[in-house]
Amino acid sequence: MKVEVGDQIPEWVMERVQIERMRTMAAILRDPNPVHWDVTSELPQRFGGRTINQGPLGLSYMINMLHEWTGPTSVRHINVRFPKAVLMNDHITARGQVTGVREEGGETLVDLDMWLEREPGDKPLVGEATVVLPR
Amino acid sequence: MSPNPMPPEAEIEALVGHEFPGGEYTIAHWENFLLTNCTGAEPLPGGQVHPVALFHVPILGANTSIAEMFALGQAESDFSIGIESYDWEMYQPLIEDKPYTITARITEADRRTNDKGFPFDRIQFQFDLADEAGEKAAKVVVTWHYRRTV
Repeated sequence: MKVEVGDQIPEWVMERVQIERMRTMAAILRDPNPVHWDVTSELPQRFGGRTINQGPLGLSYMINMLHEWTGPTSVRHINVRFPKAVLMNDHITARGQVTGVREEGGETLVDLDMWLEREPGDKPLVGEATVVLPR
Repeated sequence: MSPNPMPPEAEIEALVGHEFPGGEYTIAHWENFLLTNCTGAEPLPGGQVHPVALFHVPILGANTSIAEMFALGQAESDFSIGIESYDWEMYQPLIEDKPYTITARITEADRRTNDKGFPFDRIQFQFDLADEAGEKAAKVVVTWHYRRTV
Protein backbone atom coordinates (compact mmCIF):
# COMPACT_ATOMS: atom_id res chain seq x y z
CA MET A 1 0.00 0.00 0.00
CA LYS A 2 1.52 3.31 -1.10
CA VAL A 3 0.44 6.51 0.64
CA GLU A 4 1.53 10.10 0.09
CA VAL A 5 0.89 13.39 1.83
CA GLY A 6 -2.25 14.94 0.40
CA ASP A 7 -3.96 11.63 -0.39
CA GLN A 8 -7.68 11.54 0.33
CA ILE A 9 -8.92 8.64 2.44
CA PRO A 10 -11.90 6.74 1.00
CA GLU A 11 -15.01 8.22 2.62
CA TRP A 12 -17.35 6.32 4.96
CA VAL A 13 -21.06 7.19 4.97
CA MET A 14 -23.70 6.97 7.69
CA GLU A 15 -26.83 7.27 5.57
CA ARG A 16 -29.07 8.32 8.46
CA VAL A 17 -28.24 8.82 12.13
CA GLN A 18 -30.92 6.75 13.87
CA ILE A 19 -32.47 7.41 17.27
CA GLU A 20 -32.75 3.65 17.83
CA ARG A 21 -28.95 3.39 17.80
CA MET A 22 -28.64 6.36 20.19
CA ARG A 23 -31.04 4.63 22.57
CA THR A 24 -29.07 1.36 22.50
CA MET A 25 -25.87 3.35 22.97
CA ALA A 26 -27.34 5.22 25.95
CA ALA A 27 -28.15 1.89 27.61
CA ILE A 28 -24.65 0.51 26.97
CA LEU A 29 -23.04 3.72 28.25
CA ARG A 30 -25.43 3.90 31.23
CA ASP A 31 -25.90 7.51 30.13
CA PRO A 32 -29.00 9.00 31.74
CA ASN A 33 -28.91 12.20 29.69
CA PRO A 34 -32.26 12.40 27.81
CA VAL A 35 -30.83 14.58 25.05
CA HIS A 36 -29.77 11.30 23.37
CA TRP A 37 -33.04 9.34 23.63
CA ASP A 38 -36.06 11.53 24.43
CA VAL A 39 -37.31 13.75 21.60
CA THR A 40 -39.54 15.63 24.05
CA SER A 41 -36.67 16.74 26.31
CA GLU A 42 -35.57 20.38 26.31
CA LEU A 43 -32.53 20.38 24.08
CA PRO A 44 -33.91 18.14 21.30
CA GLN A 45 -36.96 20.43 21.20
CA ARG A 46 -34.63 23.32 20.33
CA PHE A 47 -33.47 21.23 17.34
CA GLY A 48 -36.97 20.53 16.04
CA GLY A 49 -37.47 17.35 18.04
CA ARG A 50 -34.21 15.73 16.96
CA THR A 51 -32.09 13.99 19.59
CA ILE A 52 -28.34 14.57 19.78
CA ASN A 53 -26.00 11.80 18.70
CA GLN A 54 -23.52 10.68 21.37
CA GLY A 55 -20.05 12.13 20.78
CA PRO A 56 -18.41 8.68 20.72
CA LEU A 57 -20.82 7.54 17.99
CA GLY A 58 -19.78 10.36 15.68
CA LEU A 59 -16.17 9.52 16.47
CA SER A 60 -16.86 5.88 15.60
CA TYR A 61 -17.78 6.85 12.01
CA MET A 62 -14.22 8.16 11.64
CA ILE A 63 -12.82 4.92 13.09
CA ASN A 64 -14.95 2.90 10.65
CA MET A 65 -13.47 4.91 7.78
CA LEU A 66 -9.95 4.16 9.04
CA HIS A 67 -10.70 0.45 9.55
CA GLU A 68 -11.97 0.11 5.98
CA TRP A 69 -8.86 1.88 4.69
CA THR A 70 -5.98 0.30 6.66
CA GLY A 71 -7.56 -2.58 8.61
CA PRO A 72 -9.23 -3.20 11.98
CA THR A 73 -6.06 -3.12 14.11
CA SER A 74 -4.40 -0.18 12.39
CA VAL A 75 -5.54 2.79 14.50
CA ARG A 76 -2.93 3.94 17.04
CA HIS A 77 -4.11 7.40 18.07
CA ILE A 78 -7.08 9.68 17.60
CA ASN A 79 -7.88 13.15 18.85
CA VAL A 80 -11.36 14.43 18.07
CA ARG A 81 -13.07 17.74 18.82
CA PHE A 82 -16.76 18.51 18.65
CA PRO A 83 -17.57 22.01 17.37
CA LYS A 84 -21.19 21.11 16.47
CA ALA A 85 -23.77 18.49 17.34
CA VAL A 86 -24.66 15.57 15.07
CA LEU A 87 -28.43 15.18 15.14
CA MET A 88 -30.97 12.45 14.61
CA ASN A 89 -31.67 11.87 10.88
CA ASP A 90 -28.47 13.62 9.77
CA HIS A 91 -26.69 12.19 6.71
CA ILE A 92 -23.01 12.11 7.68
CA THR A 93 -19.86 11.43 5.68
CA ALA A 94 -16.49 10.71 7.32
CA ARG A 95 -13.53 12.03 5.33
CA GLY A 96 -9.78 12.35 5.79
CA GLN A 97 -6.55 13.50 4.22
CA VAL A 98 -2.98 12.32 4.79
CA THR A 99 -0.70 14.91 6.42
CA GLY A 100 2.43 12.84 7.06
CA VAL A 101 4.12 9.50 6.47
CA ARG A 102 6.97 8.28 8.71
CA GLU A 103 8.90 5.16 9.65
CA GLU A 104 9.02 4.30 13.35
CA GLY A 105 9.98 1.05 15.07
CA GLY A 106 9.91 -0.85 11.81
CA GLU A 107 6.39 0.32 10.99
CA THR A 108 5.05 2.85 8.52
CA LEU A 109 2.88 5.34 10.37
CA VAL A 110 0.48 7.67 8.62
CA ASP A 111 -0.74 10.91 10.21
CA LEU A 112 -3.96 12.39 8.93
CA ASP A 113 -6.64 15.00 9.40
CA MET A 114 -10.19 13.68 9.54
CA TRP A 115 -13.65 15.13 9.89
CA LEU A 116 -17.36 14.48 9.64
CA GLU A 117 -19.27 16.40 7.01
CA ARG A 118 -23.01 17.04 7.05
CA GLU A 119 -22.92 19.09 3.89
CA PRO A 120 -20.04 20.86 2.15
CA GLY A 121 -18.29 23.11 4.68
CA ASP A 122 -20.36 21.92 7.65
CA LYS A 123 -18.02 19.85 9.85
CA PRO A 124 -19.53 18.87 13.21
CA LEU A 125 -16.49 16.77 14.24
CA VAL A 126 -12.85 17.38 13.37
CA GLY A 127 -9.67 15.64 14.46
CA GLU A 128 -6.42 13.90 13.74
CA ALA A 129 -5.33 10.27 13.75
CA THR A 130 -2.31 8.06 13.33
CA VAL A 131 -2.61 4.65 11.69
CA VAL A 132 -0.08 1.96 10.87
CA LEU A 133 -0.01 0.84 7.25
CA PRO A 134 -0.53 -2.86 6.51
CA ARG A 135 2.53 -4.59 5.04
CA MET B 1 -31.08 17.32 37.24
CA SER B 2 -31.87 20.50 39.21
CA PRO B 3 -30.00 23.60 38.11
CA ASN B 4 -26.84 24.18 40.17
CA PRO B 5 -25.38 27.65 40.82
CA MET B 6 -21.84 28.39 39.62
CA PRO B 7 -19.45 26.80 42.16
CA PRO B 8 -16.50 28.73 43.61
CA GLU B 9 -13.47 28.53 41.30
CA ALA B 10 -11.40 27.04 44.14
CA GLU B 11 -13.76 24.04 44.34
CA ILE B 12 -13.18 23.32 40.66
CA GLU B 13 -9.41 23.70 40.90
CA ALA B 14 -9.37 21.38 43.94
CA LEU B 15 -10.61 18.55 41.71
CA VAL B 16 -7.11 18.12 40.22
CA GLY B 17 -5.67 14.90 41.57
CA HIS B 18 -9.05 13.36 42.37
CA GLU B 19 -8.65 9.60 41.99
CA PHE B 20 -11.52 7.32 41.00
CA PRO B 21 -11.75 3.93 42.73
CA GLY B 22 -10.53 2.07 39.65
CA GLY B 23 -11.29 -1.55 38.90
CA GLU B 24 -11.70 -4.08 36.16
CA TYR B 25 -13.95 -4.41 33.11
CA THR B 26 -14.58 -7.32 30.76
CA ILE B 27 -16.40 -6.63 27.49
CA ALA B 28 -18.89 -9.39 26.74
CA HIS B 29 -19.62 -10.53 23.18
CA TRP B 30 -23.23 -9.31 23.33
CA GLU B 31 -22.11 -5.87 24.49
CA ASN B 32 -19.52 -5.56 21.73
CA PHE B 33 -22.02 -6.81 19.13
CA LEU B 34 -24.61 -4.17 20.07
CA LEU B 35 -21.98 -1.46 20.43
CA THR B 36 -20.51 -2.19 17.00
CA ASN B 37 -23.97 -2.22 15.46
CA CYS B 38 -24.59 1.26 16.89
CA THR B 39 -21.60 2.51 14.89
CA GLY B 40 -22.99 1.13 11.62
CA ALA B 41 -20.07 -1.31 11.19
CA GLU B 42 -20.01 -5.09 10.94
CA PRO B 43 -18.47 -7.06 13.84
CA LEU B 44 -14.66 -7.00 13.76
CA PRO B 45 -12.71 -10.25 13.32
CA GLY B 46 -11.11 -12.31 16.08
CA GLY B 47 -13.31 -11.04 18.90
CA GLN B 48 -11.85 -7.55 18.55
CA VAL B 49 -13.81 -4.92 20.40
CA HIS B 50 -14.79 -1.83 18.43
CA PRO B 51 -12.53 1.01 19.65
CA VAL B 52 -15.59 3.13 20.43
CA ALA B 53 -15.68 1.07 23.64
CA LEU B 54 -12.85 3.32 24.80
CA PHE B 55 -15.49 5.79 25.89
CA HIS B 56 -17.59 3.73 28.31
CA VAL B 57 -15.22 0.91 29.31
CA PRO B 58 -12.77 3.25 31.08
CA ILE B 59 -15.56 5.14 32.84
CA LEU B 60 -17.46 2.10 34.08
CA GLY B 61 -14.28 0.11 34.73
CA ALA B 62 -12.93 2.90 36.92
CA ASN B 63 -16.09 2.52 39.00
CA THR B 64 -17.49 5.88 38.12
CA SER B 65 -20.24 7.01 35.74
CA ILE B 66 -21.13 9.79 33.36
CA ALA B 67 -23.60 11.03 35.98
CA GLU B 68 -20.89 11.13 38.67
CA MET B 69 -18.51 12.96 36.33
CA PHE B 70 -21.24 15.55 35.69
CA ALA B 71 -21.84 15.85 39.45
CA LEU B 72 -18.14 16.19 40.35
CA GLY B 73 -17.93 19.28 38.17
CA GLN B 74 -21.25 20.53 39.63
CA ALA B 75 -22.87 20.64 36.20
CA GLU B 76 -25.74 23.12 36.01
CA SER B 77 -27.89 20.69 34.06
CA ASP B 78 -27.76 17.77 31.63
CA PHE B 79 -27.57 20.36 28.83
CA SER B 80 -24.64 22.31 30.23
CA ILE B 81 -21.85 19.89 29.29
CA GLY B 82 -19.86 20.40 26.10
CA ILE B 83 -17.15 18.10 24.76
CA GLU B 84 -13.80 19.73 24.06
CA SER B 85 -12.03 16.58 22.91
CA TYR B 86 -11.48 12.86 23.24
CA ASP B 87 -7.87 11.74 22.88
CA TRP B 88 -7.28 7.99 22.66
CA GLU B 89 -3.91 6.22 22.48
CA MET B 90 -4.40 2.59 21.48
CA TYR B 91 -1.45 0.32 22.32
CA GLN B 92 -3.24 -2.93 21.48
CA PRO B 93 -6.75 -3.92 20.33
CA LEU B 94 -9.24 -4.71 23.09
CA ILE B 95 -10.57 -8.27 22.92
CA GLU B 96 -13.95 -9.64 24.05
CA ASP B 97 -14.09 -11.60 27.31
CA LYS B 98 -10.66 -10.45 28.49
CA PRO B 99 -10.42 -8.42 31.72
CA TYR B 100 -8.84 -4.98 31.64
CA THR B 101 -7.69 -3.03 34.69
CA ILE B 102 -8.52 0.67 34.75
CA THR B 103 -7.08 3.50 36.83
CA ALA B 104 -8.42 7.05 36.53
CA ARG B 105 -7.96 10.53 37.86
CA ILE B 106 -8.68 14.20 37.15
CA THR B 107 -5.57 15.79 35.64
CA GLU B 108 -6.72 19.36 34.90
CA ALA B 109 -9.52 21.60 36.18
CA ASP B 110 -9.79 25.34 35.80
CA ARG B 111 -12.19 28.18 34.96
CA ARG B 112 -12.06 29.84 31.56
CA THR B 113 -14.08 32.20 29.40
CA ASN B 114 -15.29 31.37 25.91
CA ASP B 115 -15.04 33.67 22.89
CA LYS B 116 -18.49 35.12 23.69
CA GLY B 117 -17.41 36.06 27.23
CA PHE B 118 -19.30 33.28 29.04
CA PRO B 119 -17.53 31.33 31.81
CA PHE B 120 -17.04 27.58 31.77
CA ASP B 121 -15.04 25.10 33.81
CA ARG B 122 -12.69 22.87 31.83
CA ILE B 123 -12.15 19.48 33.44
CA GLN B 124 -9.86 16.78 32.07
CA PHE B 125 -10.09 13.11 33.07
CA GLN B 126 -7.41 10.52 32.29
CA PHE B 127 -8.03 6.78 32.20
CA ASP B 128 -5.30 4.13 31.78
CA LEU B 129 -6.15 0.59 30.71
CA ALA B 130 -3.90 -2.45 31.15
CA ASP B 131 -4.37 -6.07 30.11
CA GLU B 132 -4.14 -9.19 32.30
CA ALA B 133 -0.34 -9.21 31.98
CA GLY B 134 -0.13 -5.59 33.11
CA GLU B 135 0.77 -4.34 29.63
CA LYS B 136 -0.64 -0.96 28.60
CA ALA B 137 -3.75 -1.33 26.45
CA ALA B 138 -4.92 2.27 26.04
CA LYS B 139 -4.78 5.79 27.43
CA VAL B 140 -7.97 7.82 27.24
CA VAL B 141 -8.21 11.54 27.94
CA VAL B 142 -11.68 13.10 28.16
CA THR B 143 -11.96 16.89 28.28
CA TRP B 144 -15.33 18.41 29.01
CA HIS B 145 -16.61 21.96 29.42
CA TYR B 146 -19.09 22.68 32.22
CA ARG B 147 -20.87 25.79 30.95
CA ARG B 148 -21.91 28.30 33.63
CA THR B 149 -24.77 30.74 33.68
CA VAL B 150 -23.97 34.18 35.05
